[in-house]
Amino acid sequence: MFTQFFGNYLLRRQLVSSEQLSEALQIQKNTRLKLGVLAINAGLMTADQVEKAHDRQQRADKRIGDVMVEMGFLTKDQVEELLRTQPTGHLLLGQTLVDKGYMSNAQFESALKSYKEENSLSDSDMNNTDENAAKKLVAGFYNISSGGGSDYAVNYVSLIFKNLIRFIGDDFTPMEPFALKEPIKNVVLQNISGSTNMTTLIYAEKPALIEFASRFAKEEMSGDDEYTQACVSEFINLHNGLFAVNVSNDTGKELQLEPQCYYDEMDIKGLSKACVVPVHYPFGVINFVIAM
Amino acid sequence: MKIMICDDSMFVRKKMKDAVLAAAPDAEVVEAFDGQQAVDKYTAEKPDLIFMDIIMPVKNGVEALTEIMAIDKKAKVVMASSVGTQENLKQAILAGAYDFLQKPIENDDVAKIISKALK
Repeated sequence: MFTQFFGNYLLRRQLVSSEQLSEALQIQKNTRLKLGVLAINAGLMTADQVEKAHDRQQRADKRIGDVMVEMGFLTKDQVEELLRTQPTGHLLLGQTLVDKGYMSNAQFESALKSYKEENSLSDSDMNNTDENAAKKLVAGFYNISSGGGSDYAVNYVSLIFKNLIRFIGDDFTPMEPFALKEPIKNVVLQNISGSTNMTTLIYAEKPALIEFASRFAKEEMSGDDEYTQACVSEFINLHNGLFAVNVSNDTGKELQLEPQCYYDEMDIKGLSKACVVPVHYPFGVINFVIAM
Repeated sequence: MKIMICDDSMFVRKKMKDAVLAAAPDAEVVEAFDGQQAVDKYTAEKPDLIFMDIIMPVKNGVEALTEIMAIDKKAKVVMASSVGTQENLKQAILAGAYDFLQKPIENDDVAKIISKALK
């Protein structure tokens, strides 16, 4: 998640263009080493064991290293050792931008230093493994103060990024949030009730929504039809379901999800306090909306 | 073997049907779009196994499960939901669910449940 926010920082500082960042994120995706590959490289796991661990991880909201330990493939110490040698995403992103000639080494080094200082992030925070540090980053980026319902907002938005990385791809950049001012198109809505009431939405231009659905379903979508809408609806349902599970586990409070609805066009009455969290993918912008 | 898939999402029904047919190619698959349809179709179709979503319009999955168990105590209904909270698990178990699947659905899990149900 730090990689994506670091990408946003580089954009805001006008150190790279949106196109350059998208390209780098895509290239980085193809070249990034993962724990499984490192474990195979170190002779600690077979490729088959790595596949099995990844399959298990898809069903459990856990880190891959924890899954590999649970399955008896690695010890905790081995995972820690491998993670120490794993290049972190933001470094790979920076290296990719430097390799492409979009940034100098000095610019990258300077940007990374000031980014960490501005966000009070340590080197270990940047390792993508500390959930609390990730939440701190989200709270800071979206200017969400602590306490009360804001904890829900921070946890909800943090989980969006986690689920995007898990189900859609990590080649995105979070963009600045904004308030809804005009009717929106191509919208999936799901209401949440219980210990807190929330309205959640996803909307996007049709081509972006179709590509989003294709990635989630891992199949080509023929176009903007009921199946594509159902696919995006299932993403929000899955995300909200996992959010409800986290809230239940963390606080003992229960949330109820209502069936999702799709709208070709929607007015924004009742959503005056809604916050839009736009996410830029190479195929377009996907907007997540949270109203509490 | 006849298997009913009840989910209001055509996307989930397709993925679930693919998973069922991968595990049991000869299975006859019956689909329902909401809990009420599942109850209505249960009486007519008498499926051997049902995969049932929880959050659905008209009648939710737990209500449908309760009604199906009242019709047939031996019905095998697997609840499949993204909301695998303790409360939902408890409700499903109390209402007589055969098993519980946390979404996203994995083909291996579906195959294991079908294999268990056939024994």
